[in-house]
Amino acid sequence: MKSPELKGRNRRALALLLLGLILALILMSLPLYSFNAAVYTKKSSNTFVGDEKYQSARAEVEEKAEGFRAQGFDVEINETVTERVNSKGETTSLIAFTIDQKLSRSLFAFWRTALPAGHVFRAMLLCALGSALCAALGLRGSEELLPKYLDGRSRVLRSAAGVLALIALLLVPVFVMMNNYAFGRALGLYSQELLTEGKEALYQRVDRFLFDGGAGENIDAALKGLSVRHSGMLWLLLPAFALMLLCAVQIRHAAIESTLLRGLLYVFVTVMCVVVLYPYYVMLVTAFRSNAETLDMYFLHMFPTKWIWSNLSDIVHRGVPRYLLNSVFVAGGATLLAMLCGIPAAYAMARMNFAGKKAFLGFVIMSQMFSPVVLLIGISQLMNTLHLNDSVVGLMLVNAAFNQAFAVWLLRGTFVSISPEMEQAALIDGCGTVSALVRVLLPMAAPGIVTALIFVFINAWNEYTISTVLISTASNRPITVGITQFSSFNMIEWQYLFAASLLATIPVVILFMSIEKHLTAGLTSGGVKG
Amino acid sequence: MNSVQGKRKWEPYVWLLPSFALIAVFVVFPILIVFKLSVSEISQAGVIGDFVGLQNFRDAVKLPAFKTVMLNTLWWVLSVVGLSTILGFIVAMVLNQKFRGRKIARAILVFPWATSLVIQASVWNYIIKFEYGSLNNVLLNLGIINQAINWRSSYTVEFIWECGVGIFVTVPFVAFCVLSGLQSIDGTLYEAATVDGAGFWDKLWKITLPLVRPSLTVSTVLNIIYVFNSFPIVYTMTKGAPAHKTDTMITYLYMLSFYERKKGPATALSVIGFLILCVCAGVYMLGVMRKEEEL
Repeated sequence: MKSPELKGRNRRALALLLLGLILALILMSLPLYSFNAAVYTKKSSNTFVGDEKYQSARAEVEEKAEGFRAQGFDVEINETVTERVNSKGETTSLIAFTIDQKLSRSLFAFWRTALPAGHVFRAMLLCALGSALCAALGLRGSEELLPKYLDGRSRVLRSAAGVLALIALLLVPVFVMMNNYAFGRALGLYSQELLTEGKEALYQRVDRFLFDGGAGENIDAALKGLSVRHSGMLWLLLPAFALMLLCAVQIRHAAIESTLLRGLLYVFVTVMCVVVLYPYYVMLVTAFRSNAETLDMYFLHMFPTKWIWSNLSDIVHRGVPRYLLNSVFVAGGATLLAMLCGIPAAYAMARMNFAGKKAFLGFVIMSQMFSPVVLLIGISQLMNTLHLNDSVVGLMLVNAAFNQAFAVWLLRGTFVSISPEMEQAALIDGCGTVSALVRVLLPMAAPGIVTALIFVFINAWNEYTISTVLISTASNRPITVGITQFSSFNMIEWQYLFAASLLATIPVVILFMSIEKHLTAGLTSGGVKG
Repeated sequence: MNSVQGKRKWEPYVWLLPSFALIAVFVVFPILIVFKLSVSEISQAGVIGDFVGLQNFRDAVKLPAFKTVMLNTLWWVLSVVGLSTILGFIVAMVLNQKFRGRKIARAILVFPWATSLVIQASVWNYIIKFEYGSLNNVLLNLGIINQAINWRSSYTVEFIWECGVGIFVTVPFVAFCVLSGLQSIDGTLYEAATVDGAGFWDKLWKITLPLVRPSLTVSTVLNIIYVFNSFPIVYTMTKGAPAHKTDTMITYLYMLSFYERKKGPATALSVIGFLILCVCAGVYMLGVMRKEEEL
């Protein structure tokens, strides 16, 4: 199907896209960045404005400035006066002369630099150019075709145009903000020699970029007095790239509105995933850092400079396997017990009629309401009486009891959803109730049982409060309490804390993901939470 | 099954017995103990003395931090439950759309729910450290800030962070509850509404909200109870410092009872907390029972 109307629209969109690109290129060639660098500083103490010493210092600085001007630099002299009253009560003053070099650079100057912002700029520019190129190539020979009749090549090219424009758009804020960072912080750190590696090479590049190589050996001093300002005009790149993106979307899909909504949806989901995963990223990278790196306030890298795998073997010697084993025992035992008590109860609730059924249901739900925390004192008293405090078995029992509600509730829902006919047939064949339950109903209810099983296991595994109160001997601690030994009041060993946390988290997250689908179904019928 | 019922009337109770016993011993019994302790004199060493009536309650109310702690608890429950319900609802609406990667997004959303609160709180504790925290590190690396920010400049800010972490771990629960409600909605309802010219907001208010209301009620009431009971976040991040200014009732009663050895007022607080929970539980049970009758 061909449509001359579409051809016109596509051409207009391409023209607008190129307009956006040209606008962006013009902006990039304007001198939007200004740098202020102190290339020479002279301090003169015990000097007052206008006196002899001042005059001579001033003359010296003037001469120096002339030298810079002779080299073709645009410099100006600034002076700051600091007055102080010394211990004898006399007023003294310190005058500092600085020769400031003013520079401005267009964005294209970043092309040559190997600074972090330079990489971003190059990526941004290439994306914008690539977007225009892809859009033009993607339209060639298929201007009048509706998107669904496009061949593969045009489709890919048109999509690429949109994706590249989007990347360019997203890189604008990164680029702008990175400059202050790159100059202000990274260079500051380099000049403090905190990171010596590559310092010389970086200095040379910066020198070439800022001073065309003119600062030479004074580059160190120049960088210390460096301030960077970008013009607000820079943000006009955003609408320029946005225009390119819109045009690319129009060219690719012809229906712009629904596509944009789709884009917003992906943006939302991406942001959500990044936020949710962020703590896990922190846990992972911190677990493999050295202790010095976890506590280093100038630590610049987002990943460990060296992955310290020995952190894992260190925590093995600090009792972590024992804690994990305790956790397995507590959670496993609690799960088993909760199931052994819960399955018969759920069966009775699902299949039998008796007086007090409703009352029991209420009793069960009620017990779910009281998390053990508010009853801490009562539980610890009870455990004292039963001689079960400081014991893994006691912990197991409490966990089983407080998860009983969910187990009964979810199992009952599962049993009710299964037709009783099969069991009735088994009963007629002479099976007892128990064997009918075990041989017929349980296999059919397996998915629900597994869900309940895993959920109780995770709840017990993650339980912390009761364990801190009941357990006092180190060797009886479950992992959630065990990890707190790495964060004592005066010293926190973050790397061990998170290495152990990682070991405690990975298995349950995987288990949880495996029942996620069934859990949603279980939630509607009851309501559960860890 | 009537055949069973006719023969042995006591049989169902045997089936229920283990479950009943477990709950009775480890849930109901501690409740009774707490009630008994709250009206008894308790020495610092924990020796239980005579009946003293409401003396413990009077002592509890007179504690200097009592008012702050109650207000904190109120803010804690309101902000965490309220904001996570709104956020969770939005997340569920988005995840209910069909898009590529939906399964992955849902799997990722499970993470905070599956992680132990004490671990979650430790990580956030590290993230917002001023001197070496990860948030400053990442923001500096991305060039969003130019110098490190003190994310915990005062106890108010720290408490807000604690609420934030509470919201972070609660949103997935709400989202999955709402999602289960959303998935049971018949898609033809929306089609019919679209034919009738209803816009997005019309559909939200007149179809979606009424139909997910049961799920939303369940999740909200449960959240009130769980958030009220939440202990590890506050305990790990600030331990209530300074001077109980960031404590909620649960962490406060833990501190009172196990650190400051004021068991009497602590048990009184437990009973107060218990009664508050009873009201919530009652509301919840009414809701569930009604739903049960409808089934």
